[in-house]
Amino acid sequence: MNRLHALFFSALRRVTLLCVIPLTVSVALSEPLKVAYSDWPGWVVFDIAIKKDWFKQEGLDVQFLWYDYAPSMDAFSTGKVDAVGMTNGDALVTGSGGKPSVAIIITDFSSGNDMIVAKPGIESVKDLKGKKIGVEVGLVDHLLLLNALESNGMKETDVTLVNTPTNETPQVLGAGAVDVICAWQPNSGQAMKTVQGSKPIYTSAQAPGLIYDLIYVSRENLEKRRGDWAKFVKVWYRIIDYMQDPANLDEALKILAARDNVKPEEYEPFLKGTHLLTLQEALQRWKKADGLSSIYGSTKVVDDFNVKYGVYKQHVDFQGYLDPSLTEEYSRSVGAKAASK
Amino acid sequence: MNPKEPWFKIREGLNVRRVTFLTACSFLLPLALWCLVSYVPFIWHPDVRLEVSADRADVSTVYIAGDHVSKEFFGTFQEAIRNGNKTILQDRANGNETGGLMARRDNQKKLRQLAGLAIANGWLRSNQREDDSAIFEIWKGIATGALIPKAPPLNAENLPIVRQNWQMLSSVSQSFDVRKLPEQPLLNLIPQGQPSNPSYLPAPHEVLLTGWHNFTNGDPLGQLSLFDRLLISIRIVWGGFLLSCLVGVPIGVLAGIYSVFSKLLEPFTDFFRYMPAPAFSTLLVAAFGADDAPKISLVFIGTFFQMVLVISKTTRQLDHSLLEAAQTLGARPRQLFSHVVIPGILPDLYNDLRILLGWSWTWLVIAELIGVKTGLTEFIETQGRWRNFDAVFPVIILIGVIGFFTDQFLAWFRGVLFPYTRTSRTKSKIQKKPGPPPRMRQATASTEAPVTELTPT
Repeated sequence: MNRLHALFFSALRRVTLLCVIPLTVSVALSEPLKVAYSDWPGWVVFDIAIKKDWFKQEGLDVQFLWYDYAPSMDAFSTGKVDAVGMTNGDALVTGSGGKPSVAIIITDFSSGNDMIVAKPGIESVKDLKGKKIGVEVGLVDHLLLLNALESNGMKETDVTLVNTPTNETPQVLGAGAVDVICAWQPNSGQAMKTVQGSKPIYTSAQAPGLIYDLIYVSRENLEKRRGDWAKFVKVWYRIIDYMQDPANLDEALKILAARDNVKPEEYEPFLKGTHLLTLQEALQRWKKADGLSSIYGSTKVVDDFNVKYGVYKQHVDFQGYLDPSLTEEYSRSVGAKAASK
Repeated sequence: MNPKEPWFKIREGLNVRRVTFLTACSFLLPLALWCLVSYVPFIWHPDVRLEVSADRADVSTVYIAGDHVSKEFFGTFQEAIRNGNKTILQDRANGNETGGLMARRDNQKKLRQLAGLAIANGWLRSNQREDDSAIFEIWKGIATGALIPKAPPLNAENLPIVRQNWQMLSSVSQSFDVRKLPEQPLLNLIPQGQPSNPSYLPAPHEVLLTGWHNFTNGDPLGQLSLFDRLLISIRIVWGGFLLSCLVGVPIGVLAGIYSVFSKLLEPFTDFFRYMPAPAFSTLLVAAFGADDAPKISLVFIGTFFQMVLVISKTTRQLDHSLLEAAQTLGARPRQLFSHVVIPGILPDLYNDLRILLGWSWTWLVIAELIGVKTGLTEFIETQGRWRNFDAVFPVIILIGVIGFFTDQFLAWFRGVLFPYTRTSRTKSKIQKKPGPPPRMRQATASTEAPVTELTPT
């Protein structure tokens, strides 16, 4: 009987041990923050912090995963990553698809890098009537296209859409399968190099504030690891400070161009088309207001747009997608430091 | 070895020298064709390869030295830059300058327009594209006549521009200093270049040089070196292949021996085989994550079902008389399996696996595209997207070379492993020698001799 007892308890001990070990291990080795990013110039700048080890210096373990844009959002909605760079419109689309998120950083707004590029012979948006347009349906540049059509008194039915992954638009335009493409840099630039003489007939510079780019975090993860995301925000503004200094331009271009496989001189114009927001500018954009100069106003416009064009059926509670608190906290901490100096 | 032996004889072999010669030709002819199209200037050459490029005002598409543009666009491109220069000169004459920091940066970029040409002439190293001080000295050299660009030369239109710009530069400073660049815009160099083929057909020497550079210098992007990528790709192909062997060979052999397994497994395998493996890609990513696992499983799916069918067929083709002979001699089922079937089918099984390994390689590119792109495919994809085909060709050729030599090695190794079977080398001899085929002498062990040919003995 005694032996049986001993056997039972030793077995019990082993079982509990087996249960406890993985538990303790998972606590001890905290997972890195996983961030998916893609070729939009406003997010490629993360490579600067990666190359310079700024996240490690902040004591933060971040794993960046490079994707094409649409797959990056897939990775986010299937829970493979904790955060992703998206436009404010696409975040709503992803959210209505079952994975709501919350933005902690406005990285930039598009000021020309999103383009509608047309073959030679098509001079304006009005000429698009009856043309074949290569665009990734339901994503940001579809929105740009609809906006362009609407502001010229046209409808989506006036054109034929050809659903094309954005990074394949240069090949598709080059092959002559479509007359026009909608894409962002570096893809739009590549398209214009592939089809010589093609040019942008409408860009996001004509609708500044329609497309904001942000870092969206999964809501559970933000709740669980708020402290880590605060450090993440801190590193982001270190990148912004670095980018503001013209002395760093050549070094920055080298890093950014390498990520996109272009030459630094080719990359330089992209910086104009993506307006990176300084901390002060970002705080302005975070203020609740109507119109495109506020992220709230812009997101409302996009939400209306998406419902109107049937991208999704029901209005989204977009306020829940926006959380300026981490940026504001960072701003206060910087202000406090500046005051104490 | 009669030199007058005719070349064309129906269903007859050739002697060794002729075979070697033809094999060499089979590689040299395509190469010669490629050289012909690349190096004879009046054949094709619809593009211009830029040696000097410039930025157009208010256009975000930047062409750099080395880019290809079509001949007709080259004209409009030059014209645009000439017009830009005219505007700059007019503004200068009218005194309405757009100065400031931006103009300085633009001027810095304009100075670098000579970098490509300077590198081609051997005055700069290829990592000095942004070495403004060195570039500044080259402007000075060309303007003062101390340096004369020869290969390639600077065209007649550009020489005065260099002098004009130098006048303006030297009036501010004799050596480079970012803060001492003129704040008025300098003139742009007019684009110049040589006729060339489109970027998707680079010349052989460009492919060779770029390939050599990329393999020896590591990846220009500071990511993985090409050798690391090659290892990743090989891991995926072999991972999928070996996994498939591990499961597929036993199943295939069992299905070949026992009708029970054959009828139980083969119909479904046959059905599954028709579903294209790439159709499962998103499913595999959802199930196995985005790293290596879905890629290996795609190679597995692409190989496994073929493997089962091919191997069961091979097993079934084992000469039945061998089984009968063994049974007559009193072999038990287990002995039949281990002493007759396995040794009997091994040489053919080996050949099947050789072919299936090649089959696995064909899945590589598709497999590496799913989830996170990796390996050689990521390199091909990104470089191809940016039309750096001179970097893509070496990698494609490398995959071919690896496949070819692996196969040649395995074919040779088959002779080592199974000396009792005919090798491809003896095949040609068989065709030449009259009389009874030599395989008759090896008939007991041979597995390749079909039943019908054995009956005469």
